[in-house]
Amino acid sequence: MLVAPVLIFLGLFFAYPMYEGLRLAFWDDDAVLPLREGPSLDASESGRLPQGAAVEVLGRQGNLLADAEATDLLTETWYRVAIHRPDGSSVQGWAPESRVRVREESADGTPLTATIRPKLGDRQDPRTILRDSPGEAAAQIALAEPRAAAAVVEAAILEVWFHVRGADVADADQGWAPSRFIQVFGDEVSGRIDRGSAGEFTTEFIRKMFDDRFFGPAWRTTLLLLALIIPAQFVLALLMALVIHARIKLNSWFLYVFTIPMGMSDLAVGTLFFSIFTGNGLLNSVLEGLGIIDSPHVFLSSQTRNWIIFAIVVAEIWRSTSIVMVILVSGLQAIPDENLEAAELFGASYWQRVRHVMLPLLKPSIQVALILRTILALQVFAVVIALGGGDTVTVLTNETFRQYFDFRNNNVAAAYALFVMVLSLASAFFYLRSMRTDPEIRR
Amino acid sequence: MTDMPGRCLPPLDSPEVRLLHRRMKRRSRRGRLWTYAGAVVIALWILIPLLFLTSMAFTTRETVRSYPKNVLPFIPFSTDTVRFFLDQPGVLDGLRNSLIVAAITLLLSTVLAAPAGYAIARYIFPGRDVVRLGILAVRAFPIVVLSIPLAVLFLRAGIFDSVWSLALMHTALAMPTSVLIIASVFASVPHELEEAGQVFGASALQSFWHIVLPLALPGIAASSVFAFVLSWNEVFAAGVLTLENRTLPALLLVQLQLSSDAYQFAGGFFLMAPSMVFMFFIRNYLFNLWGQVTK
Repeated sequence: MLVAPVLIFLGLFFAYPMYEGLRLAFWDDDAVLPLREGPSLDASESGRLPQGAAVEVLGRQGNLLADAEATDLLTETWYRVAIHRPDGSSVQGWAPESRVRVREESADGTPLTATIRPKLGDRQDPRTILRDSPGEAAAQIALAEPRAAAAVVEAAILEVWFHVRGADVADADQGWAPSRFIQVFGDEVSGRIDRGSAGEFTTEFIRKMFDDRFFGPAWRTTLLLLALIIPAQFVLALLMALVIHARIKLNSWFLYVFTIPMGMSDLAVGTLFFSIFTGNGLLNSVLEGLGIIDSPHVFLSSQTRNWIIFAIVVAEIWRSTSIVMVILVSGLQAIPDENLEAAELFGASYWQRVRHVMLPLLKPSIQVALILRTILALQVFAVVIALGGGDTVTVLTNETFRQYFDFRNNNVAAAYALFVMVLSLASAFFYLRSMRTDPEIRR
Repeated sequence: MTDMPGRCLPPLDSPEVRLLHRRMKRRSRRGRLWTYAGAVVIALWILIPLLFLTSMAFTTRETVRSYPKNVLPFIPFSTDTVRFFLDQPGVLDGLRNSLIVAAITLLLSTVLAAPAGYAIARYIFPGRDVVRLGILAVRAFPIVVLSIPLAVLFLRAGIFDSVWSLALMHTALAMPTSVLIIASVFASVPHELEEAGQVFGASALQSFWHIVLPLALPGIAASSVFAFVLSWNEVFAAGVLTLENRTLPALLLVQLQLSSDAYQFAGGFFLMAPSMVFMFFIRNYLFNLWGQVTK
């Protein structure tokens, strides 16, 4: 019961976004547009057209608006008018705005009185049809004389529906769809499906990610950084852990210094090492002071890709070795002193003890640290931005951010994020399989 | 290996054993020296960059621009760079937002994680290991994967770009670690103390309140400090989830390429300053946490 809030919270912020991420990457919300037999959402489906398909417009008709908040739609207004005929009888019915000329409006714009427009052309019946409800499909109840004075009783807004047929292929589906999904060109008879209303499974975003010209450099650099950082960092972490484990004087102070980088953000460390590697930074100052160079060397520019990668590797090792050290120290603390004393008694040198006693017993800790560090190294981000600007050297998370922030393409960004996730899972699985710990050793 | 006494040990005062003892002592003294040397070298490797950036933040802007730089830091000492940074548009707001988000994260994650940590430490309920494993798995979960869908969700829900929604996200990130730290802290309080309290007539709640909680309080404080630091440092989600109400890291991330060295150095200093203070308080709890996980 006490754990429940945590589980609910984690479900809300991990499971649900995860599901939503998968949906963004694999589900195209606007992929297809279902067409209906008639201009109504209740009508049965007559076919489907994909987003972007060219269409012929066969007809149009208004229909009651389902939701008033929709955008990009074509509307027509219908008025219910009451007409008093000269013979004393009166009639009420609905007519479209094209047939009603509003003469008088109230202060807030509500139409009050109107006249019926005359129909032009002599072959047509000059009278206007009044219907029992808004929309061309409603039953006809009366005919209104042209120029008859009318009182406007109420108004309704209808969305125009188009009757369309796929244009490019023979035997294409045809049917009715609301105007918000269809873009009609100037000639009024041709158009295209602007977006669909039904989703569809798609690998389009995944393919877009693979085709992205930054994808190749991004994943290659990410893996290169991984391969450069992790081995060096584990050696350093082991040294740090051995120092802490030796419990020398000032141990607590050294522990504090060694763990400072753990609490620092990657962005802070990025600026930290920018201040060192930049043109007039510490490294150049020291090198020139020692007489090794006579003018500042440019480390961080678009021409010095390898130096940028070097700087990133140094910064990442500086930043993230502490956590490995902490994990290794807690592993070392769990090793019984008797084991080490026994080895020492049998004449094992310090390095022999490290190699043959400590390292095998540390295996579970190393495994945890490797999994954690690999996953975090796959997410390296702000250090890369701070040191390389994100163009010359790019990584997967940087491309995720770019897709989201610069290109406003959430779906491809989600695909990138998913790719990072798949790599993380694969690496965790790999470590778990390849470093199976012997139950004897685990105690 | 020649001085190995073999399977049956010689008497303790024999010359062989004395030789062995002397050798071990000499070896350990030499080892000690190496350990100190290593400790100092590693400490310098960590401290020199920190010292350099701090000195750059507390000097004049001319010094920041100058080359080659004086390797001795803080010459001349001045608050010029820091003041210049704080005067830049958005910086004070970013600082304030960062503080608010971190404070909300601290409160929320502690309030939610403390009961869960206590339950995991005290009661053995079915699925305890599952809970612990799940919490660890979540710790290693890519923030990147969560941020984009959450941004879309928050946009839809109309709570995008607010300190609250970002704090909720940070709470989710901090929670697994908070639960683990607090669980390990409660586990280190002997259960017998609680029972003793109940023997002397305290109710379960009273003995928790008067005995367990005071003992666990420093650890709980450490976990809240951890949550605060995590939120203060978090860059990616903050960059994705905010637009107008940027936190300091998100602001710096966007401004980084467009700004002067002085701006970057002072900004970097503000980002790292809290961690330098807070790591001091929580360093010993780090082993609690990771000792639990590797068990």
